[in-house]
Amino acid sequence: MGKTVRRLDYTLLILVLFLVGFGLVTLYSTSAYNGLVKFGDSAYYLKKQFFATILGVGAMYLLSRADYHMLAGLAVPGYLTSLVLSALVLAVGDSYNGSKRWLALGPLSFQPSEFAKLAVILFLACMVSRQKTKKNSILALGAVLGMVLPIVGLVGTNNLSTAVIILGIAAIMGFVSSPKYLPFVWMGGGGIGFVAIFLSLESYRLERLAIWKNPEEYEKGFQTIQGLYAIGSGGLFGKGLGESIQKLGFVPEAQNDMIFSIICEELGLVGAGLLIIVFAVLIWRFMVIAAHAEDLFGALIAAGVMGHIAIQVILNVAVVTNTIPNTGITLPFISYGGTSVLFLLSEMGLALSVSRWQR
Amino acid sequence: MGKIKTFHKKKILVVFLLCFWTLAFLVGRLGYLMLGESEYYSRKARQLHERERDIKAARGKIIDACGNVLAANKTVCTISVIHSQIREPEKVTEVLAGELGLEKEEVKKRVEKRSSIERVKTNVEKEVGDRIREYGLAGVKVDEDFKRYYPYGSLASKVLGFTGSDNQGIIGLEVKYEDVLMGKPGKILTLTDARGVELPDAGESRQEPEAGKNLHISLDANIQQYAQQAACQVMEQKQADAVSVLLMRPDNGEILAMVNVPEFDLNDPFTPDRDTSGMGAKEKQDELNRMWRNGCINDTYEPGSTFKIITAAAGLEEGVVSPEDRFSCPGFKIVEDRRIHCHKVTGHGAENFVEGAMNSCNPVFIEVGLRLGIDRFVDYFNKFGLMGRTGVDLPGEAATIMHKKENMGQVELATVSFGQSFQITPMQLITTVSSIINGGRRVTPHFGVEVRDDEGTLYKSLSCPQGERIVSEKTSETLRGILEKVVDGGSGKNAFIEGYHIGGKTATSETLPRSANKYISSFLGFAPAQDPKVIGMVVINNPQGVYYGGTIAAPVMKDIFANILPYLGVERDGQNSG
Repeated sequence: MGKTVRRLDYTLLILVLFLVGFGLVTLYSTSAYNGLVKFGDSAYYLKKQFFATILGVGAMYLLSRADYHMLAGLAVPGYLTSLVLSALVLAVGDSYNGSKRWLALGPLSFQPSEFAKLAVILFLACMVSRQKTKKNSILALGAVLGMVLPIVGLVGTNNLSTAVIILGIAAIMGFVSSPKYLPFVWMGGGGIGFVAIFLSLESYRLERLAIWKNPEEYEKGFQTIQGLYAIGSGGLFGKGLGESIQKLGFVPEAQNDMIFSIICEELGLVGAGLLIIVFAVLIWRFMVIAAHAEDLFGALIAAGVMGHIAIQVILNVAVVTNTIPNTGITLPFISYGGTSVLFLLSEMGLALSVSRWQR
Repeated sequence: MGKIKTFHKKKILVVFLLCFWTLAFLVGRLGYLMLGESEYYSRKARQLHERERDIKAARGKIIDACGNVLAANKTVCTISVIHSQIREPEKVTEVLAGELGLEKEEVKKRVEKRSSIERVKTNVEKEVGDRIREYGLAGVKVDEDFKRYYPYGSLASKVLGFTGSDNQGIIGLEVKYEDVLMGKPGKILTLTDARGVELPDAGESRQEPEAGKNLHISLDANIQQYAQQAACQVMEQKQADAVSVLLMRPDNGEILAMVNVPEFDLNDPFTPDRDTSGMGAKEKQDELNRMWRNGCINDTYEPGSTFKIITAAAGLEEGVVSPEDRFSCPGFKIVEDRRIHCHKVTGHGAENFVEGAMNSCNPVFIEVGLRLGIDRFVDYFNKFGLMGRTGVDLPGEAATIMHKKENMGQVELATVSFGQSFQITPMQLITTVSSIINGGRRVTPHFGVEVRDDEGTLYKSLSCPQGERIVSEKTSETLRGILEKVVDGGSGKNAFIEGYHIGGKTATSETLPRSANKYISSFLGFAPAQDPKVIGMVVINNPQGVYYGGTIAAPVMKDIFANILPYLGVERDGQNSG
């Protein structure tokens, strides 16, 4: 264990650094107007994001240099910490846009749900890889997955989208760790059924479906339709970096969830397509790292990170293109959000660390 | 920790492939949106971003027969504030309140209003606008604009009319020739952000406005001014309600002057000339409408004796009367069971038709009317164009109020014959008489002559073609002779000017209800009598004291003719010395 130290995965590193740089440029382009209008400083959002990125790159570097096996000890405390923080945010959190999601730390604010994703990946990887099961893995698997339900519940109280992401990460890690397929087909079917019941229980959730089908007919479809205007305006090559008009207050909070629509407007189908390809390659690198990991713990960490990035990219692009009903999911590395970029880079550090012990 | 088995790798591959195909699907979806639906969404987005701003077109001028500009444009400014761009709200409030003479509170409200752009004041003098611009205050916008300006103030106010806030004509020629004067507004297309603020570096596309064309009219400001002066004088002397003066060319219908005193100030048309405090909005508007009324064409009246010209024309044309026919006036005439008085109660005694006209003798004209009979009289009434409108190029011409033929009896016929019991407009009367004395062809009275641009290029000639014949040359000539005698030695002698041949007819009509004892005195005259170059009419509404047309209206016409005939190049010939 830990004897075959290799070079870390530079392909992954370059992809990540590219995404971070591209993200900062896009963020500045997208947020300059909003920053100027709201805070009188066009670099307002960029500065905050840049600070978080510096922290994140530092964290990535440290984690990539660390031996990931040592982190197994942090899995349980980390998970417990995330539970405490998520509970804390419900009690004393700051609201923004009507959602209580932030903990104030002096001048900084911290979003525990972003930390929870990392904590869950580490926790599940540790728990599953430690199991000494020979058979009946499904029951054991169920027990492990059951352990993440508290955090899903806590986060889901005021941030359903992130709870779904955490659940998704857990499901993917469970799927990878079990030799069976059928139970997951059942789980998928059950999930769809649950969503259907969940939606039909409250009329406002059904309204969300109606808006999805016909965004132009509803006032609440505003964000969606403005995003579609931005995407449609892009055409093949886009208007050029910085030339978006939709970001000038038409797409609300363009630097957040809808940032991909502005990328489409400015860089066109070619730019947006290339970005998705970069994400696909990134996911492929995670697969490679996971498949060649020295042990199951490393493989599951890489698989969890893969699941996390894949779920967020897919859901974000699907929401922005109105392929699925609107829900608030950010685009990794690109959307504005300091906590998010900090922990995403930490996860990259983990994956890079795993890449150093390859078979 | 833990061993990786083959199924783990397989599962990881499955997850990756699932993600890969989902991403591939999303790229396809993007392609559909960005290529297939691109046109739809980008058009929608453009509609959202584009603001269309009109650029006003300069309105065409109204220019009189001598080239005097009666209606022009001057540059004024609109002052607006853009809330999001204001840096020093207190200073802006102070400067604007000071320069624009507004209450500070009022300006403050506008400055603090959270709207994309808020208008503070329109029609601000250019110098004030320039001064405000020089302060260089952020968020204060000074836009230049055109405002209609009337250099002569109240001159011909009811003819020219004025324009509203959007520079659209409201009354008078400004309405009638809206199409000519208006021009075509231009457009600026700009891109704006979501707050409606224009983007500085987004290229704007501009469509230049097309200035309105100039309207050249036959009205002569000099004549109009003189006539207005005369009208004002008599209105004051006789404490009359209103005085109208019409002057036109009988041969082609070009109107030289149309005075309706009291006139109003065209540069301030919305201030009533009477005290309106305590009036409701509707009453105030009624008061304004009254002030703007053009009595020559908007109001009808009983023409009285001036109408005898028309009865005479019909009688002469039909051959039921000749100048030498003898009549006898005992002071009244009995028609059916009614005794209709002459204005001279003692009667004019024996007289021929010409003398009857000179005396303005009612029984003579009753007799002529009765000789024509209802059918023929009504036929002539129609033929002369009295039932229709004159077609003058001003809006709101009133229609004739006349008996229905089937309701007319001998008594009605008798009263109509000397100008009572029906109503026409002064415009209608002068037009019909013009048509009778100009050789017998109906004319269409009009102001508009030509449409030109500022360089003088002719776009359109507006002169009206000569209308159909309504009486013969001979009747026309005979009548001119009779009407000259009316002025030479008859009831119109107060309009006589030595050295000029003037034809005319006086009238005194009592308004309805008769019990009010209100009169309208009028005189209709033309010169030179045998080759009329100008025809004029004076109508005095409700004069106090002496109210006979021959006594008070004829001298006004005389005064005007004495001044404008030389101006129009009509020479005294010295043959006429009364």
